[in-house]
Amino acid sequence: MWSPEEPRWGWGPRAPTSLVLLSVLVSAAPLGLLGEETRQVFMEVISGCPTPQNLLYIRAVGTNSTLHYVWSSFGPPAVVLVATNTTQSVLKVNWSLLLSPDPEGGLMVHPKNSIQFSSALVFTRLLEFDSTKVSEGAAEPPGKPYPPYSLDKFSWNNITLDPDTLSTTFQGHPIDDPTGAFANGSLAFKVQAFSRSGRPAQPPRLLHTADTCQLEVALVGASSQGNHSLFGLEVVTLGNGPDCPSMKEQRSIDDEYAPAVFQLDQLLWGSLPSGFMQWRPVAFSQKQRNRESSLPCQASSLSPTLAYSLPHSPIVQAFFGSQNNFCTFNLTFGDPTGPGYWDQHYLCWSMLLGVGLPPIDSLSPLVLGIMAVALGAPGLVLLGGGLALLLRHKWYSEYQSIN
Amino acid sequence: MAEEDEEARALLAGGPEAGSGVPGGARALPALCDPSRLAHRLLVLLLMCLLGFGSYFCYDIPAALQTHVKRDMQVNTTKFMLLYAWYSWPNVVLCFFGGFLIDRVFGIRWGTIIFSCFVCIGQVIFALGGIFNAFWLMELGRFVFGIGGESLAVAQNTYAVSWFKGKELNLVFGLQLSMARIGSTVNMNLMGWLYSKIETSLGSSGHMTLGVTLMIGGITCILSLICALVLAYLDLRAEKILHKEQGKTGEVIKLTDIKDFSLPLWLIFIICVCYYAAVFPFIGLGKVFFSEKFGFSSQSASAVNSIVYIISAPMSPIFGLLVDKTGKNIIWVLCAVAATLLSHMMLAFTLWNPWIAMSLLGLAYSLLACALWPMVAFLVPEHQLGTAYGFMQSIQNLGLAVISIFAGLILDSRGYLFLEVFFIACVSLSLLAVICLYLVNHGQGGNLNYSAKQREEMKLSDPE
Repeated sequence: MWSPEEPRWGWGPRAPTSLVLLSVLVSAAPLGLLGEETRQVFMEVISGCPTPQNLLYIRAVGTNSTLHYVWSSFGPPAVVLVATNTTQSVLKVNWSLLLSPDPEGGLMVHPKNSIQFSSALVFTRLLEFDSTKVSEGAAEPPGKPYPPYSLDKFSWNNITLDPDTLSTTFQGHPIDDPTGAFANGSLAFKVQAFSRSGRPAQPPRLLHTADTCQLEVALVGASSQGNHSLFGLEVVTLGNGPDCPSMKEQRSIDDEYAPAVFQLDQLLWGSLPSGFMQWRPVAFSQKQRNRESSLPCQASSLSPTLAYSLPHSPIVQAFFGSQNNFCTFNLTFGDPTGPGYWDQHYLCWSMLLGVGLPPIDSLSPLVLGIMAVALGAPGLVLLGGGLALLLRHKWYSEYQSIN
Repeated sequence: MAEEDEEARALLAGGPEAGSGVPGGARALPALCDPSRLAHRLLVLLLMCLLGFGSYFCYDIPAALQTHVKRDMQVNTTKFMLLYAWYSWPNVVLCFFGGFLIDRVFGIRWGTIIFSCFVCIGQVIFALGGIFNAFWLMELGRFVFGIGGESLAVAQNTYAVSWFKGKELNLVFGLQLSMARIGSTVNMNLMGWLYSKIETSLGSSGHMTLGVTLMIGGITCILSLICALVLAYLDLRAEKILHKEQGKTGEVIKLTDIKDFSLPLWLIFIICVCYYAAVFPFIGLGKVFFSEKFGFSSQSASAVNSIVYIISAPMSPIFGLLVDKTGKNIIWVLCAVAATLLSHMMLAFTLWNPWIAMSLLGLAYSLLACALWPMVAFLVPEHQLGTAYGFMQSIQNLGLAVISIFAGLILDSRGYLFLEVFFIACVSLSLLAVICLYLVNHGQGGNLNYSAKQREEMKLSDPE
């Protein structure tokens, strides 16, 4: 059955040939979705024969629930997210259906009645704006738009899987690049799964749990169409019922993990617990992500869109059938003044995708410790000193009364 | 006053034999030109107040233009705070020598002119650093500016003592301080607007725009220099007309006196260093804090940042009166430090409108200045006072220099919440020192916390 020309990672529609297994680690983690603190994560790239189309399949198994993430590299970058309430649910891929013009039924999760939540996220276009031509007072768009890049016209087959960090990177170039903008550059999507909660060392240091996976979008080296271009992403979600998901901006006092960023943005598919998307409204224009290179990230409001006006995503249609309740929003990165993509031709932005309760940042133990000492020490000294004075006063007055 | 009037009239009435070397003795001196008359002294008061205006205006220019400096000179917050640190470094040493230089080396007139020149030249070098895109030149400019800045304040006070006596003196000191604070406020609210105007006229932002803006800001230093020159002339003239002596600081600095400082005095030093380290670097970094955490526009952020100075301008004399009338200095210091702690906690842990916290900070800052510095005079004999104040200024500047850099480092690596927690820790240390001071003072039966009445009684019962 094996032939030397077969791709090393995975072959055939149903049997994964290489699995990535991670040992279960117990940790004191904030409660995720259905209460799972740790999950066993299996990450693999499934290829279809004979065409070189790939799916990244992540299965995160908890004690009584499973999360399935299916990322596709054909069509625009998209993810289908399915949460089931059993550890025995499996994904079934019918490649012949999936690659046909009508892919409905090509992706299925069995048993169907165990599905608690399912939705999809598609990144349809890379937007570009000329920041030097900003109309006064207009918040969106942030400049005169250049023709956008449609991400389904990109080839995403450059896939690198890193089992140690449970991450996979899709590097994309346009199939047709007449201007040569991406001759020395690429747009990369890095997906990372987690078996327990933690916080990466790199800003924006989003707190993740076992119920989430992280996506990092990086635009590196591509030439912009102008001297001062601002980039953006068009993101499409599948609405829960007729309404669009809700966007929430949470202001907080805590910027320990992302200096000078006091906000956390969330996209919630329904009332909690359900699927969510979480990100900090900041992007970075240098590889060493620090305050000096941070760009503000603006999210437009969600608007319902009809399916025909968007690039078609096969896996979304494969799992959900023909849908028409798509909702679109735009993310734009940067300001006309300040740092921008033009500094080092680098832009990166991170987000979390998960199911259940979105992770909440809390004050670090160091801050709490310093505050405890700062407020406690004067209080104790005041108390102790006051007591000592009182006792001394009493002792002296007693002495005098004898005399 | 009447005698001086008579003397003046005698000079006027008499001719060339009335006095030697009196310029224009035969002419009638109008009130404005007569050094003994109130009108003239008010003119001199105006000049004395304007003397410090330029120095205080330019001290906080980095705070007002923080984002522009960081962007145009491509520096992070740590390097930006070096602009404040370099101002403080020379004053660690100069605080001891300011009085000596004015009394023995230059004299008050030349001393003021020289220090004003240092302020001007320093600001010009600072601006040139922007024009030539050399951050080291900016740091050098702030160093030179620092040499002149603090010593100019000493000179200003010496002029005040020389021209005004007794009860008037407190009012004059208060007015000088208020004028200085007005300078800081005008700077906070003006420089951002000035930068944007220059940007539109030059067509682009960048180090050149920054340099030109700083040069224009330096015009206030030229104004101070002119005041120094006019003051010197008027002082010389008054000396000749009224035969009064050139003003002296009267400070005698003997570094060996430091070993005689008592424990309460050391506690006061700790209070001073820790408190000001949580106020001035915070104002230096405040503008960007308000725009990033609370979403304020650039103008509003500058306005909130300057509220501390705006409040201290009128409240300093009022609190001075309050502390004079009631005494109980330690209790007032305790209130001020506790209020500052509360203010920083509001800014760190809530999203409440920062106007509230900053107004509280302004009141606390004014109150502390009025209650803390006079305590040194209660603890230290007259002949050691110069050394004590010099030492206090010196370690205050040392603390500011070090904490400024540290604050920049913390902000770059850990963000604003951690920076605020750091300032809270500093204020808490100051609070600890105040509590210890109260306990030590109470235990030793000291007089720091006497009410005004008790102090009066003590003065009356004193055989001297």
